[in-house]
Amino acid sequence: MTRYKRQDPEITRRKFINAAMGGTVAVGGISLLSTLGTANPVFRLTRDKMPPLKGDILVHAEESKEGQPIKVSDLSDQLVRAWPMGKGEDGSNVIRKGDPNNILALYRFPKGQLIAPTVLEATVDGEVVAYSDVCTHAGCSVSDSDQGDGMKCPCHSGQYDPKRGCIVTGGPPPRALAQLPIKVEGEGLVVADFFLAMPYPFIAEAEWETFKKEVEEQLA
Amino acid sequence: MNQWLDERLHISRLNDKFLRKAFPVHHSFFLGEITLFSLIILILTGILLALAYEPSNSLVTNSFDPGTADKPNLIPAAYHSALKINAMPFGDMLRRIHHWTANIMVAAAVIHMMRIYFTGAFKKPREINWWIGMLLLIFTALTAVTGYVLPYDNYAYNTLKVIYGIAASVPWVGEWVAQAAFAGKFPGAGVIPRIYGYHIMLLPGILLALTGAHMLLMIKQKHTQPQYAKRIAYKKIVGVPLSTQQTPIMLLLAVMFAAIIVLFSAFIPVHPIEFFGPPSTTPINNIKPDWYLLWVFGALAIIPSFEVHLFGGLIGAEFVGAIVLPTVFLLAMFAVPMLDRSKDNMYYAENPTNHPVRLAAGVAFMASLIVMSVAGYKPELISSGILNTANANTVLWIALFLVPALSYFGVMGIVRGIRSLREADERERGAFSPADD
Ligand code: HEM
Ligand code: FES
Repeated sequence: MTRYKRQDPEITRRKFINAAMGGTVAVGGISLLSTLGTANPVFRLTRDKMPPLKGDILVHAEESKEGQPIKVSDLSDQLVRAWPMGKGEDGSNVIRKGDPNNILALYRFPKGQLIAPTVLEATVDGEVVAYSDVCTHAGCSVSDSDQGDGMKCPCHSGQYDPKRGCIVTGGPPPRALAQLPIKVEGEGLVVADFFLAMPYPFIAEAEWETFKKEVEEQLA
Repeated sequence: MNQWLDERLHISRLNDKFLRKAFPVHHSFFLGEITLFSLIILILTGILLALAYEPSNSLVTNSFDPGTADKPNLIPAAYHSALKINAMPFGDMLRRIHHWTANIMVAAAVIHMMRIYFTGAFKKPREINWWIGMLLLIFTALTAVTGYVLPYDNYAYNTLKVIYGIAASVPWVGEWVAQAAFAGKFPGAGVIPRIYGYHIMLLPGILLALTGAHMLLMIKQKHTQPQYAKRIAYKKIVGVPLSTQQTPIMLLLAVMFAAIIVLFSAFIPVHPIEFFGPPSTTPINNIKPDWYLLWVFGALAIIPSFEVHLFGGLIGAEFVGAIVLPTVFLLAMFAVPMLDRSKDNMYYAENPTNHPVRLAAGVAFMASLIVMSVAGYKPELISSGILNTANANTVLWIALFLVPALSYFGVMGIVRGIRSLREADERERGAFSPADD
C-alpha cells in the first residue's frame, strides 16, 4: 500500500489507457474501413453501356446472327431477342451489350392483336412491338411461355402478356416490361426514343429520369 | 524419436491434452467428422483446380473452336479454362469431386446439426459451439455459391445475375453493397477475380478459423455422452481415445467416404459446362440453385409482388423473400440454445422422445423448409399439370402452413404412442429404470 495517497487525480492511469486504446481502435477502425471503398470500382458510362437511344439500329442478339440488323420480315409472334446498336465515340458501330439489361424482346403480331395498354404510337403500324427483355423481378431474361400464353420468366415463373403492353399476368414481378418506341427505317428497325417506363434495375422514376439526363448530357 | 521430440517440444503434454481425447462410439457422432473430411477433400481438390483455373472474365478466343479470323469465337477466360480443365486427364473428375463434395459437406453439416438439436447437445455449456456451427453452415453455403459461379458458363452467369439482384434489393444501401461486393455494376470487368478471391482465400480462411475454434471447444468441453455411458460409468467420460483407438476408425471412415465420393463423381456428372455454353442472353430454362438454397428460391417464387417506398428506399418481394425471410429462419436457429433455461451443465445426450415439443418443433421447421423447396419446383409442378397457374400459389401457401402443423401434431401423437408403449413395457417387467435426465 502506498503511504501517500494522491490528492484526487484528474484522471487515473487505467482511465487514460482505456481512453487511449478506445481512441486508437476507433480511429484505426474507421481509417481501415475507408479502404473498403476500393472494393467498389468507379462506374464509367461508356457507349456500350448506354440504354437504347434514339436512332439506334436493332440487331440480332442470337449468337449465330449477332450484329445483323433485324428486318421486319424476321419477326413473328415468336420472341426475337435484339440489342440496340449505336455509334461509338469514333463513329464505329457499338452493340450496347456492355449492360446486359439492354437486351430487347421483339414481336410482330397480326394487326389488331396488340391492344392497350400497349402504346400503339410507339409500335410499327400496330404490329411490331419492342420491350425490355429483362424481368422486373430479379432481372432474368424472359422467354416465350412453353404453353403458348405469352411470356414467361424462367427464374420464378413470372408471366407477361406481350399483346397487352407486357403487363404482369402471373408470378412475382412488380411491374410490366418497359416498352421501347421503335420505327422502320429502310428495311430495318430503329429506336425512336427512350424506354417509355423505367426498365430493370431502376426502382424509382426519379432515378431513371436522372439517368436519362446524364446520358443526354454526356452525348451532347 | 518420440523421446527426442519430447525433450525439445514437450509433446507428451500435447498427447495428454489432445491426443487422449475420448470419443464416444456411436454412429451419429461421425457426422461432424464427415463434414471435416469434406472440407479437407475440398481444399485438396480446390488447390489442384486452382493450378489450372484462370480467374478472369475478359474474353479470349476459344481454342477448341476458334471461329474465323474476322469473327473469332470469344468466350470468357474463366469458362475457357474450365473447358480446358475438363479436357485434362481426370480434369472433369476433379471438378466433379470438388462439386459433389461441396454438396455433401453441406448435407453432412445439416444432418450433424440435426443430431445436435434432437439430442439436446446444444444446451449449456455448449451454446457457443452451436453458434460457431451455425456460422460454419452459413459460410459453407457462401463458399459453395461463390464456387458455383467460377466456371462462368451460362448457368453460372445467370445465377450470378440473380445473386447480384438480390444483393442490390436491400433498401437504401443495396446497389452500393452489390457493386462493392461484385466489383462494379453487373457484370463488372473484375467480377470473376473478385469472386475467386472470396472463394479460395477469404471464405476458406474463415472456414478454417471457425473449424479450429469448433474443434478446440469440443475438446475442451468434451462430447455429450451417449446414454449407454450413464449405465457404464455415471458422470465419467466414456469413449475411445483419439490416439490410438479413434484414429484408425476415423481413417477408415475418411477413406471410405473419399471412395464413395469418387464413385459418385465417376457416374453422376455435375454442372456440365459444355452443355450450358458460355454466358449469353439466352436464358437457361428452369434454372435452380443447389438444393440447400432451394427453399429461398421457392419462397421467391410464391411471395406475391409488392413494393413499398420508404424514405427513398424500396422494400420489395425480392428483398423480403431472399433476405428478410432467410434471416428470420437463421435467427430462429441461432436462438435455439437460448430457449433452454436449465442452469445445469449437460452431460448425456437426451432421448428425443423425452422432449416431444422440441422434437416436433424441429420436424415442423424442417417440414416448412421442405415445402418451400418444393415450391421451388413451381414451374415443373405447373407444366406437369399437378397444379395450374391460377391455383399454384394458393395451394403452396396453404401447404406451407398445413404441412408443418400436421407434422407437429403427428410427431406429438407418435411420441405419445411410443411413450405409453414404453411405460406399459416397464410395468410389465416390473422394473423401473430412471428417466434419462
Ligand atoms: C479451400 C480451398 C478451395 C479452393 C482452393 C477452391 C478452388 C476452386 C476453384 C479453382 C474452382 C473452379 C473450378 C472449375 O473450373 O469448375 C472451384 C469451384 C467450386 N468450388 Fe471450390 N475451392 C475451395 C474450397 C471450396 C469449398 C469449401 C467449397 C464448398 C463448400 C467449394 C465449392 C465449389 C463449387 C461448388 C465449385 C463449382 C465447381 C464446378 O461447377 O465445376 N470450394 N473451387
Ligand atoms: S426474375 Fe423473373 S420471375 Fe423472378
